[in-house]
Amino acid sequence: MADRFGTSIVALGAALSTTWNRFWFTPAPARRLAVVRSLAGGLGLLLAWSWAGDLIAWFGPDGIVSPEVLTAWRSPTGLSLLDAARSSAAVWAFFLLGVVLLGMLAVGAWTPLVAPLAACFWASLLHRGPMLVGPADDILAVMLWCLALGRPGDALAVDRWRAGGAGRAAAPSWRNGLALGLLRVHAAVIAAAAAVAQLKADVWWNGTAAWFLAARESTRVDLTGLLAGSEIITNVVTHAIVLFEIAFAAGVWNRWTRPVVARAGLVVWPLIGLVAGELMWGAAMAILAWACVPDEAPER
Amino acid sequence: MLLVVYLVGLGLCVAANTASGTSRVVGTLKDRLFAPWMVPLWLDLGHDTRLTYGLPEDADHHVEIRRAVSPPARPGKGPATAVLRFPATGDHSERGARWRRLAVATVRAEEDAEQAGVLPAAIGAGLFRAAGDDDLEVRIVRRVAPDYESARSPRRDETALKVRVRRLAGELQLIPLPPAEEVAPLVDPAPPTGGGK
Repeated sequence: MADRFGTSIVALGAALSTTWNRFWFTPAPARRLAVVRSLAGGLGLLLAWSWAGDLIAWFGPDGIVSPEVLTAWRSPTGLSLLDAARSSAAVWAFFLLGVVLLGMLAVGAWTPLVAPLAACFWASLLHRGPMLVGPADDILAVMLWCLALGRPGDALAVDRWRAGGAGRAAAPSWRNGLALGLLRVHAAVIAAAAAVAQLKADVWWNGTAAWFLAARESTRVDLTGLLAGSEIITNVVTHAIVLFEIAFAAGVWNRWTRPVVARAGLVVWPLIGLVAGELMWGAAMAILAWACVPDEAPER
Repeated sequence: MLLVVYLVGLGLCVAANTASGTSRVVGTLKDRLFAPWMVPLWLDLGHDTRLTYGLPEDADHHVEIRRAVSPPARPGKGPATAVLRFPATGDHSERGARWRRLAVATVRAEEDAEQAGVLPAAIGAGLFRAAGDDDLEVRIVRRVAPDYESARSPRRDETALKVRVRRLAGELQLIPLPPAEEVAPLVDPAPPTGGGK
């Protein structure tokens, strides 16, 4: 009896180990990760643009987010390379260097070096003004670190062209599989965490949350007339947002539902972002959804 | 092994960074074992994007700056009471969203003993030059949407925070200002008695 139990445990362990290794370390082609790289670089440039307009007002020598503010605000283990920039010129120089890094990441130039540097720049920027950070900034930080682990410069990249392999596909790499696996885990966790957070509030249960989203001044598309005229539509939009988040978080783990929910995410996440007034967050989630779309290759 | 450690850290960060708070066990584990290396990488995240709870604190906030002491009125023009608004009205951009987050953070921080007063003073001091004065009134306004039942009603502005920030002899001073309704003169609702003939 004990022998049979022991054998079962060993067999279970072996199966888990095989599944674990297959999920994380199966070599994957670079193309999908390369698209994530380009889109993340582009999103990074857009988000960087939103910092640029008030850069000195926030981080300049007499800026709002002064070292005293950071002392009260930032976690003791938080640090930013931007702290060393004491003059307006130095702040701008650091920022423009980061913009160049994001641009190089978007086109895939010197990617093995640029990807971790871009991630460091982004983390530094966010640590310099933590109270100004939005959910899209958070997701971009996660994506940049994942990209730094993979080999996203092996396709659709200046690096590939420089290496003379523009017409040929690079060999699949386990690092791409690891990066895509981590992106999928984060996509599911973010969707699940959002759904859990929303379900704590009455407005997501009584179906009026969509109204409070649409009625904000900051929302780009004015749906107030439509929603005010129909409680049913308001309820449907509210419940659809939560249901999609749950379906996405769970669906990306099943081989039959994954292609559907991941592709749906390419459209639905930006729509949710539009309704919620968080367009950049919706775009960031769409990029994560792209990372979840299965390749034509055998299912991992 | 590193992957397992990271995934455990990811789970603890999500569990520990919620609006509902966290247990001491989860918080301590996360702070001791994971925060020291996940915070610098900006990976200590809760991802609890609630979008809205329909509460006033979820409404759009903005910062308003005006001179605390109005300059003397020019003949025929009345007092100059220019208000700087961050973000500008109708600004739907991500840049505008960052100002709104600053405004929300400023209000929330007033509940924290260590952070209270820090941001309002910093906002005032940081905008002295833009306002052209070293004595400013900083007001955080929230634009609250009506409930669904009264959806046709307009949004209403509420003052979430109002302070006076001034630099006097090189020293920054923060003077809390009570909301207008607390200092409004009381009006006796009783009609005149008609006495005094």
